[in-house]
Amino acid sequence: MGEMATAAGVLGADLHNKVNNSKILVVGAGGIGCEILKNLVLSGFKDIYIIDLDTIDVSNLNRQFLFHKQHVGKSKAMVAKESALKFNPNVSITAYHDSIISTEYGVNFFKQFNVVLNALDNRVARNHVNRLCLASGIPLVESGTAGYEGQVELIVKGKTKCYECSPKAPQKSFPGCTIRNTPSEPIHCIVWSKYLFNQLFGEEDGDEEVSPDTADPEAAANAGESAMATDANEKGNVERTSTRSWAQSNDYDPEKVFTKLFHDDIKYLLSMADLWKERRKPSPLIWSSIPEIANNGQSTGQGLKDQKVWSLKECVEIFSESCRNLSAQFKKLPEGDHMVWDKDDVDSMNFVASCANIRAHIFNIQRKSRFEIKSMAGNIIPAIATTNAIVAGLVVMFALKVLQEELEKCQCVYVRSKPNHKLQQIVPEKYLSPPNPKCAVCSPKPEVTVRLDVNKQTVKDFVEDVLKKSLNMVAPDVMLMPSGSIIISSDEEEMDISRLALTLADCNIIDGSMLEVDDFLQNYNLTVKIKHREPGRDDPLFDVIADPDLLKPTEEAESDKNGSKNGEGDAKGYEDDDDDLIMTVDDEQLVIPGSSSTKRKVEEEASVPVKKRRTGNSNEMLATPVEDDDDIAIIE
Amino acid sequence: MVKDAPIELTEDEAQLYDRQIRLWGLESQKRLRCARILVVGIQGLGAEVCKNIILGGVKAVTMLDHENVTEEDLCSQFLAPTTAVGKNRSAASLERAQALNPLVDVKVDTENISDKTDEFFTQFDVVVATNCPVKELLRLNAICRNADIKFFCGDVFGFYGYFFADLQIHEYSEEVTVAKAVKPQTNNNKKQKIEEEKVTRKGSSIFVPLHDVLDIDWTSDEYKQKLSKMDSTFFLVRILQCFRSEVNRNPKAASIESDIELLKSIRDKELAKMNVNTDKVPDSLFQMVFAQLSPVCAIVGGVLAQEIIKTVSQKDAPHNNMFFFNPNNHLGQIFCLGN
Repeated sequence: MGEMATAAGVLGADLHNKVNNSKILVVGAGGIGCEILKNLVLSGFKDIYIIDLDTIDVSNLNRQFLFHKQHVGKSKAMVAKESALKFNPNVSITAYHDSIISTEYGVNFFKQFNVVLNALDNRVARNHVNRLCLASGIPLVESGTAGYEGQVELIVKGKTKCYECSPKAPQKSFPGCTIRNTPSEPIHCIVWSKYLFNQLFGEEDGDEEVSPDTADPEAAANAGESAMATDANEKGNVERTSTRSWAQSNDYDPEKVFTKLFHDDIKYLLSMADLWKERRKPSPLIWSSIPEIANNGQSTGQGLKDQKVWSLKECVEIFSESCRNLSAQFKKLPEGDHMVWDKDDVDSMNFVASCANIRAHIFNIQRKSRFEIKSMAGNIIPAIATTNAIVAGLVVMFALKVLQEELEKCQCVYVRSKPNHKLQQIVPEKYLSPPNPKCAVCSPKPEVTVRLDVNKQTVKDFVEDVLKKSLNMVAPDVMLMPSGSIIISSDEEEMDISRLALTLADCNIIDGSMLEVDDFLQNYNLTVKIKHREPGRDDPLFDVIADPDLLKPTEEAESDKNGSKNGEGDAKGYEDDDDDLIMTVDDEQLVIPGSSSTKRKVEEEASVPVKKRRTGNSNEMLATPVEDDDDIAIIE
Repeated sequence: MVKDAPIELTEDEAQLYDRQIRLWGLESQKRLRCARILVVGIQGLGAEVCKNIILGGVKAVTMLDHENVTEEDLCSQFLAPTTAVGKNRSAASLERAQALNPLVDVKVDTENISDKTDEFFTQFDVVVATNCPVKELLRLNAICRNADIKFFCGDVFGFYGYFFADLQIHEYSEEVTVAKAVKPQTNNNKKQKIEEEKVTRKGSSIFVPLHDVLDIDWTSDEYKQKLSKMDSTFFLVRILQCFRSEVNRNPKAASIESDIELLKSIRDKELAKMNVNTDKVPDSLFQMVFAQLSPVCAIVGGVLAQEIIKTVSQKDAPHNNMFFFNPNNHLGQIFCLGN
């Protein structure tokens, strides 16, 4: 009773009453979620729902303060509930150890809440909750942190921009040729090693090849040689069998795997002489005579083993050991199952770190410590207790204002690592940002244009890569207009499975076709215009453009690029994530109402010729899906 | 103060502090773990500060509070169990505070801060004072100046909060980004590229004691100019500090009406003394100064704890010298006052 009087005292009777009678959903029980939950129970919120599918890891404990060592491995949502109840036993907390992207949490589930608070660590779930809140008309407070920086914004349908109104910085990606043939930076070797992990033990992905790319146009000075290379490829040599079946047929013998990857393949690359006219040649390694090469003379963290740069010999030993351990684990899996790379799994991480360093040595690239490689491979956005506490405090301040119906006071707020010139560290925008009328999600009649090769893209790729991965749908139905014929049905019984292997053109989807796409779970309808395009060397296999005006000025630049025939998609950089990240909050990214968001990087890109610029995702395009959009983790 | 940190981290520490080491570096973490901190006043704000620095991995935290847990504490003080009302605040907070991080030495002191002699403070690198009368703050600040101890004080009143820092002369290093021209690697891009490079540079910051801020002449040309831009929170905090000195407690919800009347009369008197118009602190603000609002403690306590971490790790420029959080527009701003 006492604490009721207290909450009433601090909040005032009116607000206290609203808080007392509200029902609130917290999505995520990580760094921000723990802090939000504490603030809610202390401030008198009586009916709180929290959901998180994650379990507790040791590296969470420095900030996710509702968890202690004895909780490692347990459900975040459940432990958070138990700990928060101790702060105030008189409230009701309903906890779900589950993914918010599940059919159980549809529009009707969302409709029961007064406000939804996001405390997520990835863009896919943020997009999904954004759509459900728009569809159910519930205000959403979105938040995130990256290191010392953070951001909180209110999203209300029709009143503010939604989470997807301004395109997010795209995932950093690298051309396949750089990864496979001509790495020049540590990150190229790390990306290659993660691909290798997937090729050997994970989900095999055609875009994640690790063998030499014989179709690299740079390898041939003229078309004749290029044709020869292609010919060689099709005749079938090492490239012909998949890396995995090759490794399996050799029982994952570390020496054989090593020799293929770090000797034979390198020899093969050397035979592509044109690649090395301007580049330093790689040096193949021989298993039986690994040179004595210490750690590049750079030893950073004296005592800690993760901080040391391994000698080449150590790399080979660690490679052998992790390769053996991983193949043993892999063999135990049921037929057809695969492993998932995890930065916190010792063998998975050792495998990637050792392979990346061996490849780096071969290509005369500086080797890195396991600690540094983990940051880059795991795309870790470091999260700390203080920033999370500040952001979670702001989130609950927003929630209080939503209950008081003071939406106009909830301008987007940025937490800065350093104060701005006015000495402001926690900085609200001046105005509420209005919705983007061209938003592919919250505009009244959303529409996007997808550019792809209708003769090559299969229906399956279109569903998986374009609709699900890029446009973040969960269970899309697709109708070809104006006939209304069903191309894809989310109901498996209605879906003709054989159609999946057909190309879009086989299904009469051609340049200029209009598709009506409907995601039942998200209550999201989208018109998709198809534009036929054969992608060039460094182009992604498809791109999605939300603003049709953007198509016009770039088309000419596009046309002279289509000469080259090899359509290797961009190597996908990283996905994975860590923590409580969000959108990055550089100064440059502050969004000024009425203008599009700009980031320094994008402006730099604008200064290079238009042709080149198309290969990087333009600012206005919808980014390909990423868990992490953050440069911080990538830049050393 | 924080000397060279020769001790290496253990593998356990490296694992626990993995994420923050990736952010502020190994050297900062080592310095952090040598720091001994005194936190005076373990209400909502004090609890937030303790939580953040204990999680961060300082060497030792002493929680000092001679008062008992009140019902008002329950809406922001999460370290003391709800059953502890009537028991000493710092003692009641020990168990949960220690559970946040077993590697930190968490200590309890239940004596009144005003009974502590000068020598007591020499065992600390940083002193953080909350819920103290101004007279006591001035005394602590002076002791810290003499003993070369970094001094912070702050409070949360309802929806409002602030803190003040006196780090005397503070030296630090910071990473800055400079542009650097790089040669093209292949003939593909002949153009010279400009790349950004991070370099470390040293800086220093000079602070003034608290009485310089309290003694500001708001009729002087310099401060007359600043007045219009001054956040109301600054003056509100002054009024609340006077209230505390006058009746030896903070405003209480139980006596809300008479307390608001008293606050108004203190405002009229104090602002007149400073020659500041009373509409700088409108009546409506006084409704929002009771107890401590948990999210505001989190915000002010988060910024304050980060300043402590910055100070002991001697990394990055500290806020010089006052921080205010305005709950109406969510603005958190630093003011350099009294310099």
